[in-house]
Amino acid sequence: RGGGMKGGSKVIVEQHRHKGVFIAKGKEDALVTKNMVPGDSVYNEKRISVPQEDGTKVEYRVWNPFRSKLAAAILGGVDNIWIQPGAKVLYLGAASGTTVSHVSDLVGPEGVVYAVEFSHRSGRDLVNMAKKRTNVIPIIEDARHPAKYRMLVGMVDVIFSDVAQPDQARILALNATYFLKAGGHFVISIKANCIDSTSPAEAVFAAEVKKLQQEQFKPMEQVTLEPFERDHACVVGAYRVPKKQKNAEK
Amino acid sequence: MKTYLLFESSSGYGLFNAEGIDEIGQNTEAVRNSVSDLNRFGQVVKLTAFQPFESALDALNQCNAVSEGIMTDELRNFLELSFQNSKAKEFIVGVADSKLGASISEGTNISCRSNEFMLELLRGVRLHFEHYIKNLKPGDLEKSQLGLGHSYSRAKVKFNVNRVDSMVI
Repeated sequence: RGGGMKGGSKVIVEQHRHKGVFIAKGKEDALVTKNMVPGDSVYNEKRISVPQEDGTKVEYRVWNPFRSKLAAAILGGVDNIWIQPGAKVLYLGAASGTTVSHVSDLVGPEGVVYAVEFSHRSGRDLVNMAKKRTNVIPIIEDARHPAKYRMLVGMVDVIFSDVAQPDQARILALNATYFLKAGGHFVISIKANCIDSTSPAEAVFAAEVKKLQQEQFKPMEQVTLEPFERDHACVVGAYRVPKKQKNAEK
Repeated sequence: MKTYLLFESSSGYGLFNAEGIDEIGQNTEAVRNSVSDLNRFGQVVKLTAFQPFESALDALNQCNAVSEGIMTDELRNFLELSFQNSKAKEFIVGVADSKLGASISEGTNISCRSNEFMLELLRGVRLHFEHYIKNLKPGDLEKSQLGLGHSYSRAKVKFNVNRVDSMVI
């Protein structure tokens, strides 16, 4: 063992369709992000160093879709994740910060990630991870009460939500009224079991989409997270989209 | 009746004056549209006063209090100073959190209001905040959010030495 992605110069890294995301082509293809903190792994993930033509090296970190719903959504073929270099992202349900670290890589030094997590156990890991990544602002607080952390967050371009709570649509909507720009976007991961374990997953997803539509969200696409997660879907859309007729009147 | 807005930022307290905005007769849709445009919003909502926090420790104390809906002495001084020369007898201050509004009303003679309409205006202030405060360079606000976010969160995590979750509900 010990081969894998450590194939040295045999590994070629290509730009993914999504800006800020890359694909490492070796023995097996892997999703990677450009490491903001070279030499440092966050959760023991593999790192790939790629020599550049000018003699310098660029380091990438392997992004495991079995551990990150956002990575699973990207491999599931989602059309647009809206999280891109320079973006300001509000991340609800940051947990220990494994996916947050990749989002931090993705938005880069010009971007900001406001990472909200309520559990103190994971929050501790999150705070430690954020020490090394200066574009991550850790917020240990309940995402149900955005007013509690209103002093810490500015207006954002995207809200990513992975809170796995029955009222997650409401939680997303509440945070959007405080922090999401008009015309901004949301990405929400929905675990069918967390909302209603008695109905079929598809029915749960449809009901959640309907709830979002009532809260000024405009869902644009939905992808399943199979085979990485069972009965999970990822819904992506826009917030407070200006009405077209109104623009025509002006 | 004059309308003011209290905006709590990571770098200090801001008080804004919303001119010519009347809750009655304003439909929310119109407000929403004007909020995104700085030219239109800037004509209506103007900065009255801004008080930066003295230190990182001060900012943390203010943040903890605001989060719990408590009015600090600093906030009371700021509001009372801002309004002592005001000729307008009748005015209301829009705040994001009704709990903080209640504490302010109790501790001073200022009447506060928090509703959907005020939240909509405060969204606009949040969006354009950097343009109002001349001393803030681009990125300064994020830096203060970063520092405050770390100290706020570190304090929260510290309470649980045993790494045991305290569940609410």
